[in-house]
Amino acid sequence: MSRIGITTTVPIEIILASGQVPVDLNNIFITDKEASKLVEAAEDAGYPRNICGWIKGLYSTVVNSNDIDKVIAVTQGDCSNTHALMETLELAGVQTLPFAYPFDRDYDLLKLQMDKLIAALGTDWEAVGKVTNRLKSLRQKVAEIDRLTWQENTVSGFDNHLFQVSCSDFDGDADSFEQRVDEFLAKTQAAAEFNENIRLGFIGVPPIFTDLYTYFEQMGARVVFNEVQRQFAMPNVVEDLVEQYRLYTYPYGVFGRIQDIQAEIEKRNIDGIIHYVQSFCFRQIEDMIFREKLDVPILTIEGDKPGRVDARTKLRIDSFLEMLK
Amino acid sequence: MLCGIDLGSRSVKLVITDTAGKIEFTNVFETVRFYREYGKRHQDGLVVDFEALGVGQISEVIATGYGRNTIDIVGATVIPELKAHALGAIWQTGLTDFTLLDLGGQDSKVIKVRKRKMVDFATNDKCAASTGRYLENMASVLDISLEELSRYSDNPVELNSTCAIFGESELIGRIVEGYGIPELSAGVNYTIYKRIKPMLTSLISDTIVFTGGVALGQAIRRLIEQELKREVVVPQHPQLNGAIGCVAHALEKREQNAARN
Ligand code: SF4
Repeated sequence: MSRIGITTTVPIEIILASGQVPVDLNNIFITDKEASKLVEAAEDAGYPRNICGWIKGLYSTVVNSNDIDKVIAVTQGDCSNTHALMETLELAGVQTLPFAYPFDRDYDLLKLQMDKLIAALGTDWEAVGKVTNRLKSLRQKVAEIDRLTWQENTVSGFDNHLFQVSCSDFDGDADSFEQRVDEFLAKTQAAAEFNENIRLGFIGVPPIFTDLYTYFEQMGARVVFNEVQRQFAMPNVVEDLVEQYRLYTYPYGVFGRIQDIQAEIEKRNIDGIIHYVQSFCFRQIEDMIFREKLDVPILTIEGDKPGRVDARTKLRIDSFLEMLK
Repeated sequence: MLCGIDLGSRSVKLVITDTAGKIEFTNVFETVRFYREYGKRHQDGLVVDFEALGVGQISEVIATGYGRNTIDIVGATVIPELKAHALGAIWQTGLTDFTLLDLGGQDSKVIKVRKRKMVDFATNDKCAASTGRYLENMASVLDISLEELSRYSDNPVELNSTCAIFGESELIGRIVEGYGIPELSAGVNYTIYKRIKPMLTSLISDTIVFTGGVALGQAIRRLIEQELKREVVVPQHPQLNGAIGCVAHALEKREQNAARN
């Protein structure tokens, strides 16, 4: 079975239906013990310093691996840097397949993109339908982990983050992932409730910091909402796969995300929002919109290279939590 | 006696007051020198040698500063830095609604205070532009004192780079073009204003309290008043504001306890 790298969430039902294994490059990069070396390697290869660390990490992850020779790159709805990432990967001999989420959520255009991916990977809608059904129950279980996080307070913000974010590729193997989910759910039944006073929501791309969630907990707060990670997991299970990827908020405009965030802030009783932005990312601009539209206190924190939270960011977090007390 | 310490990245500010809050002693030390001369390592952390400081019996130490997790003064209560600054400004000015601008050696902070509570803040991230360090660099390029530099705000020459390093070559370029010290200095001060303006306007109030070492000079204060048309208040001890906030915190706690008993 060949492995296909993905640069962000794509309809993996299609990859799985084609009998290939999806590999979310972000997860491989960030869990690498030498993640910051990967960023440096991309810089050595000629990537500019003032480009997002995620992009550089993805580049090196693919170039270094010996079993990923094909990458599905999301060319619209994620990151414009992906265009050049694709081109430099092509230069390094990696085959790339583009996938574009239509900006206006147009059903037909999205369907067309999926049709093309199906054709490119040599499968059909019938096989895709079977996988979609197979993944439904798994997605529901992961949604249950999310519910336990905010409603029962028995799952930590980090575990929530990890299970949700892993749904972009189900760690390459939906069956063994499901087993881990089952074990986790069983264990959680006996878990004590978390009692940190301050309830936070985390919005924006997953952080490049490795110990951010631990730090919040150490300071008496916990994350009960992981916006993008939860979207990766697709909590809204619907019959039609095209519709499912249309409901997925992340690749479309920011206002759809805001609606989702607003609803969850109320439902989950959130005291404050952490907006994570990545250095040199166009999404930093959207901070303006969140501040205008959301009426809870927001702390914007910026990460650059992989590693631990720096002293300056800690200072800002401390002050923010103090403010929410 | 109460002791408030603000451990900044470049200087340590120390304020000692009696239990009624009357200031008895203040000092600003260079950070490294402070640790070398008045800090003693102890297995639990750092012990401040008050005897060497010659300040008598201290009953309570309250500390704040750069990363509260890195501070480990034995026996001290540690409070978050922005909180200390907000408290200090309230205590020094008696105001309850304002925007605090603190420009220090390496950091700039803007804090919005409403009804004596911090409601929002912004800090510059990972860059020493618009801070004391930048001003020091520029003053040394111009071969004048910081004090002299801070006199001028009229007819600023145009400077685009607020980077403490790249700013130098740009400034030298202007010197070569023949501008005089007043316009050059005003240009330097104006770049600081431009840098902090977005932070200030997004957290604006009718009154701006201006603290930190940079507030000791005149030019930036004038620029803010002229350009933003707001009242700018510089408290009596702008540089000691964080340390005063530490003492204010202790006094507040004492009052609360007294009210409870
Ligand atoms: S964080 Fe921003 S710049 Fe970086 S990969 Fe994601 S979208 Fe692109």
